[in-house]
Amino acid sequence: MASLVAKVPVLINTAIAQGRPKFNIFMKYARVELAPPKLSEIPQIKAGIGKLLSSAKSGAWKDQTVKQATLNALVGAEVLFWFYVGECIGKRHIVGYNV
Amino acid sequence: MSDLPYGPPVRVSPLIRFGRWSFLTAGILYGAFHQNRLSKKEAKFREVEAKEKVIRDEKIAKEKAMAAAAELKNLEDMVSGKN
Repeated sequence: MASLVAKVPVLINTAIAQGRPKFNIFMKYARVELAPPKLSEIPQIKAGIGKLLSSAKSGAWKDQTVKQATLNALVGAEVLFWFYVGECIGKRHIVGYNV
Repeated sequence: MSDLPYGPPVRVSPLIRFGRWSFLTAGILYGAFHQNRLSKKEAKFREVEAKEKVIRDEKIAKEKAMAAAAELKNLEDMVSGKN
C-alpha cells in the first residue's frame, strides 16, 4: 500500500509530461477556433444575423437539403446548449439549484 | 503553423462564436440570478418553518403526555377492575 501511494506523484508527473505537448496543440487550435468574437468582427456578426432573419422571413430556410438542415440544426443546438453550461456555472451546481 | 498535426485551424464563423459566448454569459447571469432568488425564497421558507416547528413540537409533546396519562389510567382501571 505504501509503495502504491509513493507511486502516485510519479504517475501524476508522467501524466503531465505526456499530456503537455497535446495540451499545447489543443491550445493552438482553441486560440483560433474558440476565441471570443473580436470587435472588428461585429459587421460580420450583424450580416450573419441579418441573413438568418431574412431567410426566416422569406422562407428560404426551407430550401435546404436534409444534410444541410441536419448540420444546421446540430450547430444551432450546440450553440444553444452553451446557455445551459453557463447556467450550471452561474448556479455553481450541476443538477438543480443548491439552495 | 507547421507544427499543427490536424491541418490549419478551422475558421469558425464569427456568428457561431458570438452565439456561443453570448449564450454562455447569458446562462451564467441567468443561473446566478435564479440561484440568488431561489436561495432567498428558501431562506424565508425555512424561517417560517422553524417558527411553526416550535408550535408543532409543543402540541405533539402535549398530546403525547395526555395519551400516556390516559393509558396509565386505563391500565390502572383494568388492574383494579379484575382483582
